Amino acid sequence: MIVANYLAAAVLFGLGLYTVLSRRNMIKIVMGLSLMESSTYLLLISLAYRPGSTAPVLLAAPRGSTESGLAHGNVADPVLQNVCLTAIVIGVAVTAVFLTAVVRIAQHYRSIDADRIRGMRG
Amino acid sequence: MTPAALASLLPVPVVILITGAVLAPLAARWSKRAPLAISLLATVAATVILALFARRVYSGQVIVTYLGHQGPAQGSVLGVTFAADAFGLSFALLTTVIGGLLLLSTLSELSGLGRRELGGYACLFQLLLAALVGSALTADSLDLFVWFEVAALSSYGLTGFFLERPLALEAAFKIMVLTNIAAFWVFVGTALLYADHGGFNFGQLHNGLGTSVKTADLLALGLIVSGFATKAGLVPFHGWLADAHTAAPGQVSALFSGLMVNLGIVGIARYALQIAPATHRPLLGLITVLGCVSAVTGAVLALAQDDLKRLLAYDTVSQLGVLAVGIGSGTSSGTAGMIYHLISHALFKSLLFLCAGAVVHATGLTRLSQMGGLARHRPVTTIAFLIGVAAIAGVPPLDGFVSIGLIHDGIKSNEPVVYAVMLLAQVVTVAALARATYLAFFRRRDDDYDRLERPHPGMTTALSALAVGSLVFGCVPTWVLHHVVAPATGALRNAHGYSSALLAGGGRLPAPPVTFHYFSASEWITSVATVIAGLLVARWYVRRATEPALVRGLRALHTGSVNDYALYATAGLIVTTLVLVVRI
Repeated sequence: MIVANYLAAAVLFGLGLYTVLSRRNMIKIVMGLSLMESSTYLLLISLAYRPGSTAPVLLAAPRGSTESGLAHGNVADPVLQNVCLTAIVIGVAVTAVFLTAVVRIAQHYRSIDADRIRGMRG
Repeated sequence: MTPAALASLLPVPVVILITGAVLAPLAARWSKRAPLAISLLATVAATVILALFARRVYSGQVIVTYLGHQGPAQGSVLGVTFAADAFGLSFALLTTVIGGLLLLSTLSELSGLGRRELGGYACLFQLLLAALVGSALTADSLDLFVWFEVAALSSYGLTGFFLERPLALEAAFKIMVLTNIAAFWVFVGTALLYADHGGFNFGQLHNGLGTSVKTADLLALGLIVSGFATKAGLVPFHGWLADAHTAAPGQVSALFSGLMVNLGIVGIARYALQIAPATHRPLLGLITVLGCVSAVTGAVLALAQDDLKRLLAYDTVSQLGVLAVGIGSGTSSGTAGMIYHLISHALFKSLLFLCAGAVVHATGLTRLSQMGGLARHRPVTTIAFLIGVAAIAGVPPLDGFVSIGLIHDGIKSNEPVVYAVMLLAQVVTVAALARATYLAFFRRRDDDYDRLERPHPGMTTALSALAVGSLVFGCVPTWVLHHVVAPATGALRNAHGYSSALLAGGGRLPAPPVTFHYFSASEWITSVATVIAGLLVARWYVRRATEPALVRGLRALHTGSVNDYALYATAGLIVTTLVLVVRI
């Protein structure tokens, strides 16, 4: 529970969404989406945190403690951190696909203004 | 086969399809026929393995397997859970069978493409099918999100497949922005639910939500439902749908409309019916409202379209709204109708899109105003299109009669307003499709077509198979209801039984009695009355020179700007979460 982080994540998400809603430049729209994405990382890492916990790295127990003791100790939630890693990987792939499309659009229309690229409407 | 051995086969259909997706582009280096052969083999193999589960699952069993052998311990599960319940298995089987037919049709029509293109196309197609089968069988919220993303990525590729067509690029950008935003919503919602209940397993989430529902949970449900509604193309989240369908080849549109959008419905049904019964009423009410708005808006927009595929795409919005109303009705009859309609919509909408693809293939025209008189030139396509239209209109020997009738039965007695809205949507839907049929196939066309391209055998095979499927599902409703739909209804409506089966490594769910009075006078009168009213509206609309103000206004809202579509979706999200959190 880190309230400041939650607020920061919400603000970042809102900023990203605002960019998507208000900018016509396609590159900026993609940037807005990336911003929304990074806000989800911040949220997930903050959700994983527990007061006073350490990183969930349980390779070998340090001297004086057992592995099971370590596993029952106070560590951050590894599942959400894993999920966050997965999300980063997916995010990179999606951004790459996005930019590919924007490049092709720029080649075809000689413009990346979303408002000028709307042949289908109604 | 022992139950344990059978359960361990559960992830195999998905694995086969993904393997096929990897092999298809590699094999394309040898020969042009190889991608077709591999992808057909993969879909057939996946279908066979899924069919192995049919007997047990349709007798009410839930077959569960935990990936990585991380089974349940003290009421929580760490491993990804795959579970075959009758609802999920029905959708998975539907996906592999129709997907195989579409592959057959598509690769025979596009055989003029180069090797690399054919390989890439077969790869993306199978990846999307794998994602749909995975989403049908998974019982893990994070895994469902991953399949959502896989489906999203492959749908981006398929939408923009013809990169040299500017329209395809435009559509690809729109589907990317909207689906990506929806994916964030689902992702954040899933994470919030995990943070509160310590699990991704549906059973665990159900148990957690059963004891207490916090504001964070309601926020999460709002985000998730909005995300899946975007995938399903419900109004106001539907901005991407019509464009993506217009730009893609006919078979891809058939895949999107017949199968992919159903992923959204599966997600909504799982969360609304199997995971969150404590928040039941507001959530179901919300889904009903979304469904009603989509049903009417989609039908009205369809009525006004000049592009045949765009018309069918808006009709998909409308039909998905009908499905959402089935979920929201909260009655066994409505839920059974939803499942039946999921099957019949997949059949008839794929059929109609294949017909549209065949028309485009034959004439090279996409606009209704340029077509006409095709009934004389293309009798097979015309008959297939008529069967599809009759199925949507709910004409008796076809599947739409039973499925729409069941949904109407579910809402008739306790929600008269919703019932009236559904009837209105049905009338406008009939009108829209009757107008399209008249303009494309039966209107007199003064000058002859320059040259009509010959139909490919694969296309004709797929058309006939889907038309026969539509007929069969309409002719043996009692058998289908008893053996397929009732067990699936049991799985969706018995949230407690389903969740304990997920945490116990398997279980049984009783099937509720679902009956449909095929020969009751009221069903036939409703069907005939809506068809006649629809035909009259179509006649009135075709004779009008200008669009009515309502239609013009609605069309003006669809500006084609991705910013506006994202704005509508965001507004939808805000309303959805407010309704759930404030419990209006």
